[in-house]
Amino acid sequence: MISYPENDAQVIEVVRGARAEHRALGIFGAGTRTARDPDDDSASVSSCQIRGIVDYEPAEMVMTVKSGTPVAEVEAALAANRQMMAFEPMDHRGIMATSGEPTIGGVFAANVSGPRRFTAGAARDSLLGIRFVNGQGQVIRAGGRVMKNVTGLDLVKLLAGSQGTLGFITEVTFRVLPVPPAIETIVISGLDDLAATKAMAAAMALSVEVSGAAHLPASVIGRFLNGDLPKGEATVMRLEGLAASVSVRAAKLAETMEAFGPVSRLGAYESCVLWREIRDVHPFADGSKRPLWRVSVAPSVGHQLVAALRLEACIDAFFDWQGGLVWMRMEADPKAELLRRHIRAIGGGHATLVRATDEVRALTPAFEPLPDGVAALSARVKQKLDPAGIFSPGKMG
Amino acid sequence: MVEICESSGDHGIASGYELRVLKQPGFNMNSIKFLPPRDSVLSRREEIISQLKAMLPRGSLVHEPRELVPFETDAFVSYKQMPLAVVLPENTAQVAAIMSFCYRNSIPVVPRGAGTSLCGGAIPQPDAIVVGLSKMNVVLDVDYENRAAVVQAGVTNLRISEHVGADGFFYAPDPSSQLACTIGGNIGMNSGGAHCLKYGVTTNNLLGVKMVLIDGTIIELGGKHLDAAGYDLLGLVCGSEGQLGIITEATVRLIATPEGCRPVLFGFETSEEAGACVSEIIASGIIPVAIEFMDKQAIEICEAFAGAGYPLDVGALLIVEIEGSDPEMDDMLSRIVDIAGRNSVKTVRASQTATEAALIWKGRKSAFGATGRIADYICMDGTVPLSKLPYVLSKIAEIIDRFGLRVANVFHAGDGNMHPLILFNANDPEDAAKAEEAGNEILKLCVDVGGCLTGEHGVGIEKRDLMRHQYSDDELNQQMAVRSAFDAEWLLNPSKVFPLEGRAI
Amino acid sequence: MQTSFTAEQLADPHVAESEKILRRCVHCGFCTATCPTYVTLGNELDSPRGRIYLIKDMLENGRAADEEVVTHIDRCLSCLSCVSTCPSGVDYMHLVDHARSHIENTYKRPLIDRLIRNVLAAVLPYPALFRIALGFARVGRPFTPILKRVSTLKPLAAMLDMAPKSPARASAASSPGTRSAEAEKRGRVAILTGCAQSVLDPGINEATLRLLARLGVEVVVPQGEGCCGALVHHMGREQQALDFARRNVDVWIREMEHGGLDAIIITASGCGTTIKDYGHMLRLDPAYAYKGKKVSSIAKDITEYLSTLDLPKQETKKLTVAYHSACSMQHGQKITMAPKNLLKSAGFAIRDPAEGHLCCGSAGTYNILQPDISTQLKARKIKNIEATKPDVIATGNIGCITQIASGTSIPILHTIELLDWAHGGPKPDKIP
Repeated sequence: MISYPENDAQVIEVVRGARAEHRALGIFGAGTRTARDPDDDSASVSSCQIRGIVDYEPAEMVMTVKSGTPVAEVEAALAANRQMMAFEPMDHRGIMATSGEPTIGGVFAANVSGPRRFTAGAARDSLLGIRFVNGQGQVIRAGGRVMKNVTGLDLVKLLAGSQGTLGFITEVTFRVLPVPPAIETIVISGLDDLAATKAMAAAMALSVEVSGAAHLPASVIGRFLNGDLPKGEATVMRLEGLAASVSVRAAKLAETMEAFGPVSRLGAYESCVLWREIRDVHPFADGSKRPLWRVSVAPSVGHQLVAALRLEACIDAFFDWQGGLVWMRMEADPKAELLRRHIRAIGGGHATLVRATDEVRALTPAFEPLPDGVAALSARVKQKLDPAGIFSPGKMG
Repeated sequence: MVEICESSGDHGIASGYELRVLKQPGFNMNSIKFLPPRDSVLSRREEIISQLKAMLPRGSLVHEPRELVPFETDAFVSYKQMPLAVVLPENTAQVAAIMSFCYRNSIPVVPRGAGTSLCGGAIPQPDAIVVGLSKMNVVLDVDYENRAAVVQAGVTNLRISEHVGADGFFYAPDPSSQLACTIGGNIGMNSGGAHCLKYGVTTNNLLGVKMVLIDGTIIELGGKHLDAAGYDLLGLVCGSEGQLGIITEATVRLIATPEGCRPVLFGFETSEEAGACVSEIIASGIIPVAIEFMDKQAIEICEAFAGAGYPLDVGALLIVEIEGSDPEMDDMLSRIVDIAGRNSVKTVRASQTATEAALIWKGRKSAFGATGRIADYICMDGTVPLSKLPYVLSKIAEIIDRFGLRVANVFHAGDGNMHPLILFNANDPEDAAKAEEAGNEILKLCVDVGGCLTGEHGVGIEKRDLMRHQYSDDELNQQMAVRSAFDAEWLLNPSKVFPLEGRAI
Repeated sequence: MQTSFTAEQLADPHVAESEKILRRCVHCGFCTATCPTYVTLGNELDSPRGRIYLIKDMLENGRAADEEVVTHIDRCLSCLSCVSTCPSGVDYMHLVDHARSHIENTYKRPLIDRLIRNVLAAVLPYPALFRIALGFARVGRPFTPILKRVSTLKPLAAMLDMAPKSPARASAASSPGTRSAEAEKRGRVAILTGCAQSVLDPGINEATLRLLARLGVEVVVPQGEGCCGALVHHMGREQQALDFARRNVDVWIREMEHGGLDAIIITASGCGTTIKDYGHMLRLDPAYAYKGKKVSSIAKDITEYLSTLDLPKQETKKLTVAYHSACSMQHGQKITMAPKNLLKSAGFAIRDPAEGHLCCGSAGTYNILQPDISTQLKARKIKNIEATKPDVIATGNIGCITQIASGTSIPILHTIELLDWAHGGPKPDKIP
């Protein structure tokens, strides 16, 4: 049973209805990540009829958009003014093999980011203000349209990434940045995972402002740029900015990276394609539902995690965020317990099961289990926003 | 009885005539109320103190009334409230023991960093125990591979950058008080600073915290990895003004120091021209590291202190800082100079040496304190959308004029965060009341034009009673409900942030 | 910030001055960041802002000083680092001076504390007595470990620890008289012989006299000169301090009237700060107000004076010098670059230790009266100095020399000794 409200008032009706009937309510956008089974009789509500750009001030670098607006529409409006969302949200359709168009609300509700996240911040760092309907059917505004805002508790951060379990976001206001006029990628070939980690750390210690640092091991290299990258492994680093600046920085970065291995460069077009493929986890957009994990650990130990797991399971992986974001595909068994144990062993982090068959999903919690103190706190916080527990109970924490 | 006398012009600043109130005023500002102290706590003061004494090492408890006096206020010095006692723990375990004790005995707790809050965030109340983190000042771990530093909450903001400076790194958020303010306080207030135009504020540079909840539970949020595992509780805690728990350790992001940085001074006849220049710079796609604005009064004050070479014959000054390698900076600078030229710039001065650059920033960062040379002041902190800046500036002038006061305007032009410094005489109760009222009007104006009450200083007590101007009852109730999830009895910094009336606890 | 004093209270000129100082403070807290006791103890009460507030509270309420306030004021080094940092121009120096004299007038210290202070005030300003006392100290040295165990007697232990191991030699540099210029005469100055310095390290003034003579400056050691009074001034013994000041003022005014003086040279920056303050200290004495100002206006640290003489550059020497900027030099007198520039142009390679703004813990008699904090500050300072791996350490104050020498094997000497050597004098013994 799916509702398609068109405005706040209708959302309130749906929420109040669910409360009255003691019904759980799932919130989604257009189904990019949550494929809806038409025979499924659980209640859900979609944002995709709440759409439209409400306000856009390029000179102030701020945009206000209704949550059900497709990301494509937002990006088109931004591109027309040579602006972009700094956090470059991933498009999950490739790996999920779904066709529901990503919505801007979904991006913030799931804190969807891309390669630039590790220096430019995640979706939640660009989010300035939201309007949402809480579990009591009240319309709540949080934040505003200015970046500097510390008036009261930061519910904007709390709702971002809350996966629709705390409220139905109907409008978002976020910061946008100019599109850098020039972009280039430095490629170092033939580094194993450990050497790549060291190279990326060295790059990040330079003042060249790398805005993307990923390592593509041999097993995945062929899936990028139609196989046009040099054979073996590729450690890739992106530089963006004014043309004069990029060229100076690229020279400096290339020089330093030569100490690690052979260096080549990619121009603007190829860079855009490559980083979009990294963003969308292209190698694992394989049409299957093999378990796909998104793992976040400290950059220096990503390679250690993968090495330790390889001893005990058959996994395929590549690295983003200087080595701290590991996309990991398992064969059939998600190996959740093994993975989480090793994450704890290397100093902490979290793993999210982004893709799996329905059977696997039913048995495997998608999100990282939280330590007791934090879990209890999270449960209390949820209770304050959704006292009756109608928004996807049990989904998160 | 009032006497007008010539001020002696100490320290080389001629301040003309001073109004000296000779009759004993001894007044206390009291238009902002605090919660009535709990009798159940006051009546047990001696017992509480002896129990605290037993659980803490020597030198960690302050309880003699004479010694409590310096803790009765912070940098929002027109309000004062004596605390019950002050504890100065040395580690997280002690903090947990203190919190647990206060929780069991329903004693309010007021966390305190360096007491530099401009909104009264650290002002206690008679039944509260101040938990001061100033002894916890150790840098615990510096991890360049992961670009992270782990520090105790009492480490000062500047000290983090100083600690890693020689290795080519820095910690970006730089509030003007960074010399003295602590990272714990920065997290409590989600502090900003001049350089947050490019690098973001504290919440965008915070990776993790170790925190003690009111019942003594110690939790860790975040770490050296990115993104929250579950809810972004770290994001919620940042800016929570000591109401959700006490932070004892923080993991912060380190960034490679840029090759060079250059502040450039642009002098304009009017603030409208300066404002238009700012808009054009941003619209052109250049994001400088910082864009700071000062009006004529502020320029005079800062130049008198720092001698940085600010032009004294302009109506408005912009400090624009760019960074990168020399060729990059030259390129960016020439574009910015072009834009400034199109906006009738009068003076352009790029700093040539590191010493000059340091002086330019010293002047700006000391603006608030340096104002103390000529008068007492309250420092406002509202944010407005950039397009509204000229309008708001002129309305501020109107408001101040109506109250018969003076103002110096300093602010972060790049993000619309304004700091009107309202000048008044603190020894004159009427003047003090007028300044407070004028400040409130200015803040409401910020909200009315689409901005907010506070950009980086926090709500504290200063803006607490204006919260309803920005939020509806539902919205305030929602925030308060979330707060209660952390501290159901409202023991943590209870008189702050949320209006006292209508609290549904 | 707001103050609340009655008209009667403000009738006292000392209170009136303190009220004005207090009004300047906006309670911003910047001063806490650079205060040696705050960074060591982590307590607001031991920070300048906290002390300002305690003093304000005490004076506003017309209260006698009590044990708590005295504890925190006593811990103040008077390093004046806070004055350098304060953006509002709070004249903390004179505020704490007033507080100390208020304490001296209204608070009865415990017996041992009183005795120790009386001994210090009775002995240190008088070189002959100091010399004798040092003789006793050498005898008493074996008792130091026992004394250290009793907290009230720690100052005695500190005193014994600091006494030089060998007897202080007498020096002609201290004898009154005129030293003529050895080159074409370009100036005439008086030099302060001082008290403790002339006993602990007569080599400093000897080097000064040599260099000045060589440069063509006539130097007079006036008859009747004595201790500048800083020591008792910092103990709050105002009348005694003013007596010392007046005596010196008389002596120097006499020299100014009979022969003229271009400057009064001071080689201990701690004394320099006080002598430059004579004008302020004597402002309420109609007979001395003008004379005190006159004297203060020509008081110069030796490096200040040398900077006006345009000394020739000397060849580079293979000696790395860590320059320790004494608090009284950098904060009290605001002399920061002159000594370093002189050393650089004399051919030495200069290194600046980290945390240069923090006191070494000497601070006059602080290392005797506050041994625990002093020891911590000393260790911190020495660690920072040693990290620069210098061959020698140079500084401009005898107190620092004594303090730092006791904690490191790197030779430490007075800036003037290096300058004398570079400009034609003998190589100092301390240099390897």
